[in-house]
Amino acid sequence: MSMTAPPKTTRRTALRLGAAGSLLGAVGLTAGCGSAADSEGTGALRIAQPSEPTGLDPHLESGLDGMNVLINIFDTLTMRDTKNELVPRLATHWEATDEHHWRFRLRKGVTFHNGEPFDARSVKFSIERLIDPDTGSTIVELRSVDHVEIIDDHTVDIVMAEPDPVIPEKVSLFGGVMLPADHFADVGAKGFAAHPIGTGPFRFVSWRKAQLLRLAAYADHWNGRPAFDELHFTAMPNPASALAGIQSDAVDLVSALDPEAALQLEGYKDVSLTTHPGIRMYFVVLDTEHEILKDARVRRALNHAVDVPLLISAVLNDSGREAATIVPREAFGYDPDVKPPKRDPGEARRLLADAGHADGLTLSFTASNKDQLVSQALAGMLEDVGVTLELEILEPGTFAERLASDDPSSLGSMYLTGSTGWTLDGEATMQSYIRSDRKRSRIRSTEADEMIDALEQTIDPDARLKTFRRMQEWLHDEAPFLFLYQADQNFASNKRIEWTPNVNGTLAMETAR
Amino acid sequence: MSRGRTRLLRAAVTRLLSSLLVLWAAVTVVFVLSRASGDPVALLLPDDASADQVTQMKQTLGLDRPLPLQYLDFLGGLIHLDLGDSLVYKEPVTSLIIERIPATALLAATALLITVVVSFLAGSIGAMRRGTALDRVVMSGVLVGQSTPAFWVGILLVLLFGVTLRVLPAAGYGTPAHLILPATTLAIFSVAVVSRLLRSSLIEVMGQDHVRTARAKGASEARVLMGHSLRNASMPVITVLGLELGSLLGGAILTEQIFNWPGIGRLTIDAISARDFPLVQGTVVLFAVTFIVVNLLVDLSYAIIDPRVRSHA
Repeated sequence: MSMTAPPKTTRRTALRLGAAGSLLGAVGLTAGCGSAADSEGTGALRIAQPSEPTGLDPHLESGLDGMNVLINIFDTLTMRDTKNELVPRLATHWEATDEHHWRFRLRKGVTFHNGEPFDARSVKFSIERLIDPDTGSTIVELRSVDHVEIIDDHTVDIVMAEPDPVIPEKVSLFGGVMLPADHFADVGAKGFAAHPIGTGPFRFVSWRKAQLLRLAAYADHWNGRPAFDELHFTAMPNPASALAGIQSDAVDLVSALDPEAALQLEGYKDVSLTTHPGIRMYFVVLDTEHEILKDARVRRALNHAVDVPLLISAVLNDSGREAATIVPREAFGYDPDVKPPKRDPGEARRLLADAGHADGLTLSFTASNKDQLVSQALAGMLEDVGVTLELEILEPGTFAERLASDDPSSLGSMYLTGSTGWTLDGEATMQSYIRSDRKRSRIRSTEADEMIDALEQTIDPDARLKTFRRMQEWLHDEAPFLFLYQADQNFASNKRIEWTPNVNGTLAMETAR
Repeated sequence: MSRGRTRLLRAAVTRLLSSLLVLWAAVTVVFVLSRASGDPVALLLPDDASADQVTQMKQTLGLDRPLPLQYLDFLGGLIHLDLGDSLVYKEPVTSLIIERIPATALLAATALLITVVVSFLAGSIGAMRRGTALDRVVMSGVLVGQSTPAFWVGILLVLLFGVTLRVLPAAGYGTPAHLILPATTLAIFSVAVVSRLLRSSLIEVMGQDHVRTARAKGASEARVLMGHSLRNASMPVITVLGLELGSLLGGAILTEQIFNWPGIGRLTIDAISARDFPLVQGTVVLFAVTFIVVNLLVDLSYAIIDPRVRSHA
């Protein structure tokens, strides 16, 4: 572990002062936050994130904050490195032997935290448990897998019910975690969730809900022992407590800061703010069947009217990148030749006049209150070209529910949303937002549906690239969205930690120093 | 059996029945409201879940069954103290709640203690030095406390003691030091209410004949206060303290968010945002039962403090 000079007043001093000032003393009550006290001696890395896992069964956990913990306990078959390349993890090599078979060769000499060896049986058990409806998993990526065939101890075939070109990408996170088959059979699902066993760089120690989740370095990890002795995860739903936590040296790393919160930390000594590229795409879904928005000229006008670079600098404090479509720059299939629409209010007014709206028009707009500032900025920019937005800003739960609703009108003529396609395949976001049979989609285009089917079921990368190019040109011309930006990830940390996340932003701390 | 005892017994039974009625009404309202508030499956499944997966998940969680059946199941379980399994955590609601009770109980009890001590001091000072500068200073201080929202006070306390001075932990749970800021934040509003009430109640009692008699016999001011006034003046205060315990539990929801306190309040917020119906219902049952029990205790305490209530029960 590398440590630069620790700050003068440590949390320990604070704890001592507090405890000394109290009649009760700290007898027997230190466990919850004793983390700070051990940190110097044993090298614990204290991480704050907005929420904690809902449980520790990796097949039942589909939230990123939960995965941030689990990815340290469990290894996946493949992984994204810090350069965003798909690299070997528990699988050393993979290839599609035909449309229905993905062959994975497995790493030898890997053991689970309880000593059980990792082999083809572990893969078969893990993937087949995930896709078994009785498991009740919320992880949906592997839905086209039929079963897993063991070829030899260290080779498996993932057999597909339908072809899927992005299986290796999909087993780099949620879908690819490997569980010990024998141990699981011994302890059962509940027992396993109470004390999860993986092959990952850290092993589970303890979890006091809403307080502290502790992991310790796994000395026998196949990739070597990680630098930090322990990881301490704390959920801090309120950004203000996370900020106070880093300022008072109670945590070392705060993840998922929103740009506003990050601003408050600027100039604070001993705290460094780092911004890393992210892949969360923000865009406004336009209802292409709405009586006004079905006219492509109106949709293009909206795109010309919104000054996205200004939005990024003024509202997001520069933590984002302008987006040409809904495909992130790091994703497979991204076409750099498709440029963002020209920011030109004059052009917007001309197009609107052409479409018969010279006197202005009013449209309804729905968003989650997490995106309130962006929504208000959009309304302001559109007002300048004569488009009045009636904003409906909803509590996030209500918004999510209307997203999943069967009634497309519940979100008005347009809605603002963000989407993270963590498989880093350009198609990840398209499925949900473009295909005409999906609840979130407001597009009814057979042309687009055919392109999506081709992208989903073609294995050949070159053929897929061609379709991706066509799709992005189509998006640019048809403008079924108001294309906005690709959000950065903001972290706050102290000087104890050196670490680079990949664009997925998972808190895999194996590489932290 | 004497007529008095029959009457007492009848009062107790009526009281118990009405408490059960209140509890039933509370859980029914919550059952209906939470179902009306949305669909947990939309929040549980990721963006690109298929329609089949949604159906499957509804079935697994038992949400595909008709609402009246779900309601009867819920009531049936409640009789056996079984509140069902949390949709999000997949654990029994009762054990999730029991895990969190100590933290909230500790916070509320400490805040109540602070409230009692500080408001009895402030109220007595105000009543004994009525109209003086000291009275005005104390009472305006108290008024400021009543007028400032807990989340604001809490954040200021964190900034001052946690970040700038670094003498107290900014957030978290575990040591007595962690308790100081949240308990103070939580107590501020109650202190204001209780001390102003105690002051006016004391002033009223101190004007009564028996206190004048005590003074005339030459009793010291301290004796007049402790021996002759406080007990009589504390009747309305105890009623309000009971109600305040309720508002302390409610306030704990805010305070626990600010200070990252691992109690019932945070669990409730998490449950509501995830539309975790069984867990929301469970926390409401807990809040309702606490209110009912506290009100019963308040009524009982009248009988102990005021002998007249005993004979008229």
